[in-house]
Amino acid sequence: MQVFKLFMKVLKKNLFTSMIYVIVFVAISIPMARSAAADKAFKDTPIKIAVFDEDDTPESRALTEFIGRKHKLVELENDKDKIMQALYFETVNYVLIINDGYAERLVGSDTDGLFSTQHIHESYATVMVSQLLDSYVGSVRAYLASGADMSEAQQSAADAVLSQAEVTIARSKGSEDLSEASSTHFRYLTYILISVIINALCPVLLKLGKKEFRFRTNCSCMKSASYSIQVFAGSAVFIAGLWLLLMVVSVVQNGGMFTGTAWYAVLNSLIYTLICAAIALLICSFEPSDTVVNLLTQIIGLGSSFLCGVFIPQSMLGEGVLAAAKFLPAYWYVKVMEMLSGSEAFDGSRLAMYMLIELGFAVALLLIALVVNRVKYSSAAIKLPKLTAQPQKQ
Amino acid sequence: MFLHNLLYEIKSSLRVRDLIFWLILFPIILGTFFKIAFGDLYEKETKVSAIPTAIVETADNEAFRSVVKSVSEGGETLLKAEYLTEDEALRKLKDGDIKGVIYSGDKITLTVSGDGVEQSVLKLFIEQYTLREKIITDTIKNDPSKAQAVIAALSEELTTSEEEPLTNGNTDFYMQYFYNLIAMVAMYGSVTGLHVAMSQQANLSELGARKCCSATPKSIGILASLTGTWIVQSICMVVCVSYTAFVLKVDYGERLPLVYIAAVCGGILGVSFGFFVGSIGKMKQGAKVSICMSVSMAMCFLSGLMVGNMKAIMADKAPWFNNINPAALVTDSISALNLYSSFDVFVTKIITMLVISLIFYVLGLLMVRRRKYASL
Repeated sequence: MQVFKLFMKVLKKNLFTSMIYVIVFVAISIPMARSAAADKAFKDTPIKIAVFDEDDTPESRALTEFIGRKHKLVELENDKDKIMQALYFETVNYVLIINDGYAERLVGSDTDGLFSTQHIHESYATVMVSQLLDSYVGSVRAYLASGADMSEAQQSAADAVLSQAEVTIARSKGSEDLSEASSTHFRYLTYILISVIINALCPVLLKLGKKEFRFRTNCSCMKSASYSIQVFAGSAVFIAGLWLLLMVVSVVQNGGMFTGTAWYAVLNSLIYTLICAAIALLICSFEPSDTVVNLLTQIIGLGSSFLCGVFIPQSMLGEGVLAAAKFLPAYWYVKVMEMLSGSEAFDGSRLAMYMLIELGFAVALLLIALVVNRVKYSSAAIKLPKLTAQPQKQ
Repeated sequence: MFLHNLLYEIKSSLRVRDLIFWLILFPIILGTFFKIAFGDLYEKETKVSAIPTAIVETADNEAFRSVVKSVSEGGETLLKAEYLTEDEALRKLKDGDIKGVIYSGDKITLTVSGDGVEQSVLKLFIEQYTLREKIITDTIKNDPSKAQAVIAALSEELTTSEEEPLTNGNTDFYMQYFYNLIAMVAMYGSVTGLHVAMSQQANLSELGARKCCSATPKSIGILASLTGTWIVQSICMVVCVSYTAFVLKVDYGERLPLVYIAAVCGGILGVSFGFFVGSIGKMKQGAKVSICMSVSMAMCFLSGLMVGNMKAIMADKAPWFNNINPAALVTDSISALNLYSSFDVFVTKIITMLVISLIFYVLGLLMVRRRKYASL
């Protein structure tokens, strides 16, 4: 157990450094999940709209009132720079200008350009507002055609356009056990796990792999296998502790203990933890400096998160990107989470297949790390400093 | 003396090859990943090809059948519809062959297995149909003679909104990820700044011990080291902007030279931040590197590196924070070039960056000056 004890001693010395990463990334993970969960495309969430009424008629005021029933109306000064600033910092998402002559043209034949709109980014929400305006105007005109007067038509159209949200959207089975915030939290764990485990485990492994330690161990009577097993045991205890800590955070995010299919998310994160540990072992095999470890972590963590659908849903990514992402373990992790969150239909056998692929990645990475280590630390590969003959004193 | 120190600082900075190599390679690799990931996003968001959908008829609804037919035929079709039994439709939905199941009967309902863009379009399609159906039903109930006029009114294709362009710059939402990449490289310059502080302190490095015995005043030595590091970091920033602008063809707008200025100022800020952290206390290099890296990451997170709308959330909850967050200052200064016709915001952000850099430098200098060591 000597090596195991040494691992723990080195770990203890590095615990402060490791915990900085753990605390910062755990602190990041909480707002990350909450903000992302509130940003789902399918939700019909109200957005912040500033209305400039240049027509100022009962019709235009009725329209403003209608928009206020569906979205949040925000007061804004009609100044270009202030509008730009508000849009950029999203204190306003959409600016609607009801053009002069709206009331007259509403009953006439020319309805093009009744409104001018301003927004910075084209998004699902902004398209929906334009669609809402088209629906409202179309409905008012239809009610007018049915013989209703203007105020009746506006009232009926507003009620009709707003009452259509009764469309039933059935979600697939298996997705009820994981709250939206919790499923987003688990998705983001891909990035958090890789960042925390590599940053926390690598400094310890790099210290243990220092030449002075290795040379001493290699010339001792300890078998190489025993050394490796003890290092693995130490690493396992460490990453198990880290994983448990992150699961406690996940339970808090979930608002209580997991139930039903949510446990698959826990299992999935455990498998991904193994993958991260294997990546950490592989990185350490090349003996990089602490700083390079960190830069590599960000490249692997951020790169795989963007390519595999952690920060942007897989449904938004191109087919070429997804085809390439299949060669990364994070892709399969996210596939499991898509199934558990209801974005993909729940299928037990496919879920098991995805997890087995992840395990395959863990085993493959571990084997590569072991091979690299074996080659690197074999007696033949160790270059001893050249001994030069000292001139003997006469 | 200053120039002599500066020259050797640049030489020794360039000899920390792994760090410089990774600082240059880091934006190249991540920028390429970003470009690959975001390459198809615009098309995916704006173009929706025919959505594979199953229609399950729970009762006879001739009107809906004809609407489905009209949107499934012709050039640009909305749906790729097929009529199936409920079991078949749900099986196909489970296998991912179709995006949704529309139940057509007295009431139109939709079953989907996900929440992507296609599902949203299907929902909108159902909602539009339900709306029109309600208006026509109301009319037939009240005055059947007006039904034709109502149908004609509903058949009009309306385009009531016209978008007024606010700026000629590039307002693509995904550009902010590239701005954040530049901010991240700038913030990672903190590690090089950290080395400057560590190499000036006799109790933290052997080089520091030698420098403490030398005749060069500490302030000149530090200033020369920092200037050397700023120059090397600026080279990294220039490579980062050039690679994204000319190789990845990221559109920074018409004011590219000013983007370089923003990036270089960001790099100076990052180095000064690292110098400040390096000057605090007696912590070992590993601990200080981890503080620099994790704080940099947290700053980048709060300026929207991982979650696109994070900066907006901060603007809502703590508006002052975006004005002092180094990463947000870098991203805001570059995006201001695209958003505003005037240079007011850009200049304000650049001045803020330089003032914060000066504060970090002065604070760091105050901490390391006049330190004496009884023994090492």
